[in-house]
Amino acid sequence: MRFWDLVSLISENLRRRKGRVFLTAVGVVIGTAAVVLLVSLATGLQKSATSNLWGITDLSRIDVYPNYGEGMYMEAVPMGGGGGGGTTSNVKLLTPTVLDEIAAIPGVKFVIPRDYMYGQGMIQFGKFETWAGLMGVKTDNLENLGYELDRGSMELRKGTIVAGSWVVQNFYVPNLRPGQEMPELPDILDQRVKLKLTKWTTDGQEVSRTVELKVVGVLREMRNEADGSFFVSMEELEAWNTWFNNGQRINRNKNGYNDVIVRAESPEVVMDVTQQINDMGYMAYSPQSTVEGINSFFVILQVVFGGIGAIALLVAAIGIANTMTMAILERTREIGLMKAVGATNRDVLTIFLGEAAGIGFLGGLGGALLGWVGGYALNVVSMQFLASQAQQQGYMSTGLTADTPLWLLLFAILFATLVGFLSGLYPALRAATLEPVTALKYE
Amino acid sequence: MSEQPVIQIRNLRKTFTMGKQKVHALAGVDLDIAPGSLTVIMGPSGSGKSTLLYLLGGLDRPTSGTIQVNGRYLDQMDENDLGLFRRKSVGFIFQSFNLIPSMTAMQNVIFPMRFTGVSNKERQKQAARMLSQVGLAKRALHRPTELSGGQQQRVAVARALVNNPPIILADEPTGNLDTTSGFGIMKLLSKLNLEGRTVIVVTHDMRMCQFASNIIYLLDGLTVSEAEYEAASHFEIPEEEPEEV
Ligand SMILES: Nc1ncnc2c1ncn2[C@@H]1O[C@H](COP(=O)(O)OP(=O)(O)O)[C@@H](O)[C@H]1O
Ligand SMILES: [Mg+2]
Repeated sequence: MRFWDLVSLISENLRRRKGRVFLTAVGVVIGTAAVVLLVSLATGLQKSATSNLWGITDLSRIDVYPNYGEGMYMEAVPMGGGGGGGTTSNVKLLTPTVLDEIAAIPGVKFVIPRDYMYGQGMIQFGKFETWAGLMGVKTDNLENLGYELDRGSMELRKGTIVAGSWVVQNFYVPNLRPGQEMPELPDILDQRVKLKLTKWTTDGQEVSRTVELKVVGVLREMRNEADGSFFVSMEELEAWNTWFNNGQRINRNKNGYNDVIVRAESPEVVMDVTQQINDMGYMAYSPQSTVEGINSFFVILQVVFGGIGAIALLVAAIGIANTMTMAILERTREIGLMKAVGATNRDVLTIFLGEAAGIGFLGGLGGALLGWVGGYALNVVSMQFLASQAQQQGYMSTGLTADTPLWLLLFAILFATLVGFLSGLYPALRAATLEPVTALKYE
Repeated sequence: MSEQPVIQIRNLRKTFTMGKQKVHALAGVDLDIAPGSLTVIMGPSGSGKSTLLYLLGGLDRPTSGTIQVNGRYLDQMDENDLGLFRRKSVGFIFQSFNLIPSMTAMQNVIFPMRFTGVSNKERQKQAARMLSQVGLAKRALHRPTELSGGQQQRVAVARALVNNPPIILADEPTGNLDTTSGFGIMKLLSKLNLEGRTVIVVTHDMRMCQFASNIIYLLDGLTVSEAEYEAASHFEIPEEEPEEV
């Protein structure tokens, strides 16, 4: 039998029993719509969850910290019988030698230590000022950290400073008279600011020191820790920290760094590099593992939701099997005739399987459409609700949204067709193996 | 020169098992049918006529014995081969027409061609030709319910012819028809026979015998001579007494 003959015969047969085909397909429509809507919800939740994640934009990044915990614990509990090795501390510090080792791991592009300022600083710009969350990074360009530039440049040299996206908005004018409007901050880019460092001597004397810096760049909002910081070169920061420490310089070979950013050559190798650094005994954490964890949670959610919908489809499958069994009883003589005029068993099997799959396909088509429209309607309603809430609260939060990817629609239609096909299997086999003579005599 | 028979049947048996009871519908039939002949099979109800016809057409399988059609043994074919055999070699005509009610006359005639690879255009042409051959060209778009019994059976004849099979098998084709339209179908079958087809007709109607090239009498699943058949009929079916009013 030729394919198009098959298709036209199947569609004729389905049209001949419109009412019943429609009722049977309604079951499939409901099941498919449930699958589409529920999986869309899970996908929508995943999207909003991922977009709410704090600054996971740079998937090549690994945060590495020294490992103190275990070593200190081991030292506190002396082993009976004594290990011969003369227990050197298990503390794993991030000394420059270690950083070189990490840099040598294949797939590592940059190893950049960071540090904070150990004292108080205030940045002054004209009559504006702000508390400075200052961070020193051991690189000459912030681009190496994966940061993104809004304007200016990200190069760090002696005497330059780069501002995070939010700190620019934190400048204020102190001692405003009541009722006086806060003036607007002029563009800070390429302007000179004063950094005023303050410390107290042991006898309570306030000592301060002022450094002049040029703002060479402002970062783009990345929703991570960079948004709230100013950046200077590590050398400069260490000089100020030495001043805070009363002239004592930190020995990195002895104390290591507390905070190191490793950037991998590509997101693909991140998990592997993270593992290797952990194996070396340091604490490596990649945002990607969070993303993966969240993603796998939502995959499970999708499967569970899809499964709930699939139960509805199972009920529909029983409906299809029932309809096909009825059809075969009613059309027994017709099956006999088909065989008498030369249809082979395979022809008959294919026709009835096709009819069952056809009901599944039609239901799947309707269900995919309904599920998609339903998700859209849900989004409209939820947007309206959120908008009314936003008026009260002053900000818009992400809420319940459905996200229907194309693959889901195609998959749902395919799946419904498969369900139809499988439900038709037994009835169609019975039709195909009917004895022609018995079928022709059937009343 | 003696022609090779188109159908050769040897010791054909068909036994139906109904629970513990066995029914020997055919109890060892030997039969040769010449090509181009019109064979009439006569016999009382339950004598095995339909069973024989279905076995000939490859619609059923014998319990034992052989059926040779055009040199091929039907009893050795698998389901698929039997399907193809029915498609190419035989056309069936039934007592109850077996038309598909939702289809027009034309569509019913086209139906067998939908399982073959014939092109759409060729189908239309061929079906129209068959319908005009049975005198129904003007009824092509009517559904079975809009046709008389005789017309429906003509549609069935056209359907049996549409794949151009060399053998036509008719199982009591006039059984559901009035005398006039029944006779029309008989003449139609005779015409097909005269065109060169081998026709085998199961019937009770004696008028068919005038067109027959040979007549086969069946009694209890066995072929018998005309004399034996006559004798049996006289014993078993006593002449009906005219009803007194
Ligand atoms: N499918 C069947 N199952 C059981 N018995 C059958 C079946 N088909 C036919 N028979 C029996 O076989 C015998 C011959 O039947 P059939 O060939 O239909 O007779 P006819 O066509 O001459 O009236 C009858 O006794 C009938 O009851
Ligand atoms: Mg019969």
